[in-house]
Amino acid sequence: MDGMTMVMENLALGWGFVSVTRFCVPLLALWILLRCARSMLRMRYEPEVWGYLKLPNGKRCPLLHWENLLGRAGSSDIVVPYPAVSRVHAALIRSDNGTWTVRDLRSTGGVYVNGKRVKSSELRDGDVLRLADQELDFLSLTESERGELSGVRAQPGDLVRPGLNFLLLTLLLAILGGQQLVSAQAEYRLHILLAYAAFALVMWSYFLVMRSIRRSGFEVETIAFFLSAIGLSVAAGSVPEALLKHLLLLIGGIVLFILLGWWLRDLRRTRALRWVCGFAALGFLALNLFTAEEVFGARNWLYIAGFSVQPSEFVKVAYIYAGAATLERLYSGRNLFLFIAFSALCVGALALMGDFGTALVFFATFLVISFLRSGNLATVFLAVSGAALACFLVLYAKPHIAARFATWGHIWETPYGAGFQQTRALAAAASGGLLGCGAGAGWLKDVVAADTDLVFCLICEEFGLLTAVLAILAIVLLATFAYRNAAGSRSSFYVIGACAAVSLMMVQLALNVFGSTDILPFTGVTFPFVSRGGSSLISCWMLLAFIKAADTRQNASFAQKLPSGILSEPVDEDEEDGE
Amino acid sequence: MKKVKTRAVFSLLIALALVLGLGVYVFRFARDGEAWASFTANRTVYQDGQLARGTLTDRNGVVLARADGEARSYASDANTRVSCLHAVGDFSGNIGAGALQLFSDSLIGYNPVSGVYDPSGEGPVVVLSLDAGLCKAANAALAGRNGAVAVCNYETGEILCMVSSPAYDPEYVPAVLPEGAYLNRVTGAAYTPGSVFKIVTLAAAIERIPDLQNRSFLCAGETLVDGQIVHCTASHGAQTVEQAFSNSCNCAFAELSLELGGDTLAEYADRLGMTQPLALCGSVTAAGNFEKGDAGSTALAWSGIGQSTDLVCPFAMLRLVSAIAGDGTVQEPTLLRDGKTTETRILDKETAELLADDLRYNVVYGYGEWNFPGLALCGKTGTAEVGDGAPHAWFTGFLQDQEHPYAFVVVIEHGGSGIGAAAPVANTVLQEAVKS
Ligand SMILES: [Zn+2]
Repeated sequence: MDGMTMVMENLALGWGFVSVTRFCVPLLALWILLRCARSMLRMRYEPEVWGYLKLPNGKRCPLLHWENLLGRAGSSDIVVPYPAVSRVHAALIRSDNGTWTVRDLRSTGGVYVNGKRVKSSELRDGDVLRLADQELDFLSLTESERGELSGVRAQPGDLVRPGLNFLLLTLLLAILGGQQLVSAQAEYRLHILLAYAAFALVMWSYFLVMRSIRRSGFEVETIAFFLSAIGLSVAAGSVPEALLKHLLLLIGGIVLFILLGWWLRDLRRTRALRWVCGFAALGFLALNLFTAEEVFGARNWLYIAGFSVQPSEFVKVAYIYAGAATLERLYSGRNLFLFIAFSALCVGALALMGDFGTALVFFATFLVISFLRSGNLATVFLAVSGAALACFLVLYAKPHIAARFATWGHIWETPYGAGFQQTRALAAAASGGLLGCGAGAGWLKDVVAADTDLVFCLICEEFGLLTAVLAILAIVLLATFAYRNAAGSRSSFYVIGACAAVSLMMVQLALNVFGSTDILPFTGVTFPFVSRGGSSLISCWMLLAFIKAADTRQNASFAQKLPSGILSEPVDEDEEDGE
Repeated sequence: MKKVKTRAVFSLLIALALVLGLGVYVFRFARDGEAWASFTANRTVYQDGQLARGTLTDRNGVVLARADGEARSYASDANTRVSCLHAVGDFSGNIGAGALQLFSDSLIGYNPVSGVYDPSGEGPVVVLSLDAGLCKAANAALAGRNGAVAVCNYETGEILCMVSSPAYDPEYVPAVLPEGAYLNRVTGAAYTPGSVFKIVTLAAAIERIPDLQNRSFLCAGETLVDGQIVHCTASHGAQTVEQAFSNSCNCAFAELSLELGGDTLAEYADRLGMTQPLALCGSVTAAGNFEKGDAGSTALAWSGIGQSTDLVCPFAMLRLVSAIAGDGTVQEPTLLRDGKTTETRILDKETAELLADDLRYNVVYGYGEWNFPGLALCGKTGTAEVGDGAPHAWFTGFLQDQEHPYAFVVVIEHGGSGIGAAAPVANTVLQEAVKS
């Protein structure tokens, strides 16, 4: 009898904890995201300077990128407004080791270096560059000069202290873990406790390692850790027995994120690997196509050493890697043709596998990349109409996909048939209201695919609509960040990579969220960072590396080398000017 | 680089689409959230498809049904359970449109901020307009006969009594149920109305026959229409329309029906709610029936007397007498205490007053006030001839009493005459209503 009373009292205490903390989860999430948003969007963006061009009128134009277009057109990076100069005249490109090359982009007036006409030539400090009849003086900066300039640039940590973000994240983890402990079965409590503690440990280790190499931009990682924390809670609720595996995969994702980010630092080696990536992507898909087992009508799983691997997730990373291109490549002849062929193969293979959702995600990413590369809306429209035709063929050939389209908008007519999952998902989502019923306390987790395809509704049920909306806005925030960084990026490779990565995430997110809520047909893709599933989690962290690599703010990103002569001190944690 | 940067707007457009889609979801969440949460597969509030939280009480706080997880119970008193069965409904959903089904949205306690979150698990209390004591009295008065009794407050629309027989005890469901035990006869059945339909015919006559009050109607016990005899209960001689109504004279009403014509009668039957299904707290009641007879035909004559193919749902009759009591305006009936109702005007004030006077005249000069001691009753009986067996007994009307503004309807299947079978039941129930 005593034991019974104690259990009852503990339970009452537990539910009291949930009743109070369920208000805190959306508040904390909002606070974290606002701090990230402030740091990402309100901060003064000071471009990096790599050299100068002195125009005939005496104006000194800074070279702000590794790839600069010179020409008469207003869209040039350095506008040379003289009639003899072609609209797009020449490209001025810096390589990783600091050497500059000028390249004639089929101009009418020609490009001359120190009086000699060239197609392409190295350019040294003090050289005189002539575009048609206009002479420009070229001044490059040495490493130490750059270091001095860098020292006075604003750093991301100056405005919003990253350490507090991680403290807030830790608090959020503690609350979610606490709620999870209340609703979990006794046998899994220790398991869950350890998993949340390990997550916090991983997070802080990452923070400390990055601080030790003087990096101060953590907004992107904060968002990823925020979403991953929700993902951990989803996994803890639905498969507490597999939490360790989830955690290992998360760590694997973070390690690969760091490795890829570090690799992307160096544009030359990055470029060299594009072909390998392209072939690896195709090979992976081919392997998948011929060997995978069919699960739920889609052949997209491989089983390797006890882990089920979804190759298409890794192909996403390889696809963006292979699709992003440097300026040099954009102005070479066969710019888009190979890429279109490559994309068609990827999308076709996925459609053959029956993984319609992922094929759609790839197709959308293809549109983003091809538009960024060509700037040509006609190409995009052509691709869309081609895809629409392909869609009809797919619908014709794959009855289970056609059935999903038939259910679209009619789920409440077949709540025990085709609309089974989504009707339950919406019922659960509405049950959570704005604040949710507490981590692990919902019932949707027992429905098939609740922690993957239906995970948005699971978030709504357990964490509330507010937190679910904030989770989506977190990804939108990443997108605005990637866009903002495009202005100061060193190479178009990074711009294309970041924009494509974040667009891929958003399209996938849209298909997941709107598919599970019957706003779009149900395609069964994952919610980035949140859906349970190792391959997806790892690939999301790897995609994040592309966004990280495009961040050129001073000392922000480990995916960018610091100039050797840099004078700046590590950011002092106490100097935040709280607004 | 500038060019590529401009093109990067593309990803912002995707972000915009994402935010717009999210807006659509939030809009739907606000609009349909309650309906989503009410889905019977929602395991927070339903278990095995049955309600798992919430309490229904009568207007005085008597618990009529309660759910707490898998523990579901009804009223503690057996007679209350049987009497309120159809108004309350049952958890398993055998009885259609009971309060348990109609107010399941309120019983799960949904609100957009908290969803259905409720750590106590008890859920909210929904207070019905019913008076359990009155229902018990009505069920006792029916004494095992099949039929329906309903009483409502015509000033507020609150239904105080809604009893249908046969019923059963939902706590101990018998292995063999009486036939039609699931049917709520107040709202779910339509009967031949007999003479109570003369209220409709009279309403039409008041408004459409200019010199009605000065006319004299002659009754010789029967009259010939289209070569067939329409017979009356007695030979009533010369009567005013008031007397003809009180005598329930078939000859007079056959004459009025033929004069008004099928179109006018059908128009009034529709307007007074006799034919179309009506709404009660989100459920719909049974439709009635009225077929236009050809001009001069026997069918037309009988249709205005409430015979022929006429059918009326008891609830529709309750609503009509409520409107007459309310000077032509009906407070649409509700099953919730202090529930919001809407007003509908279905009769002109003058017509309603004349009808009320005529209904009062019926009791004073026709049925005898000593049958309804202390009640300022206005009413009309009906003895509806049906093919199989004894006629259905009807009695409907209201109290002209500020303190007790009650309208009522009683139908007893094959009960015999309206005055003999239905009126005493009405008296018993109304005496109980006035007492409490
Ligand atoms: Zn007569």
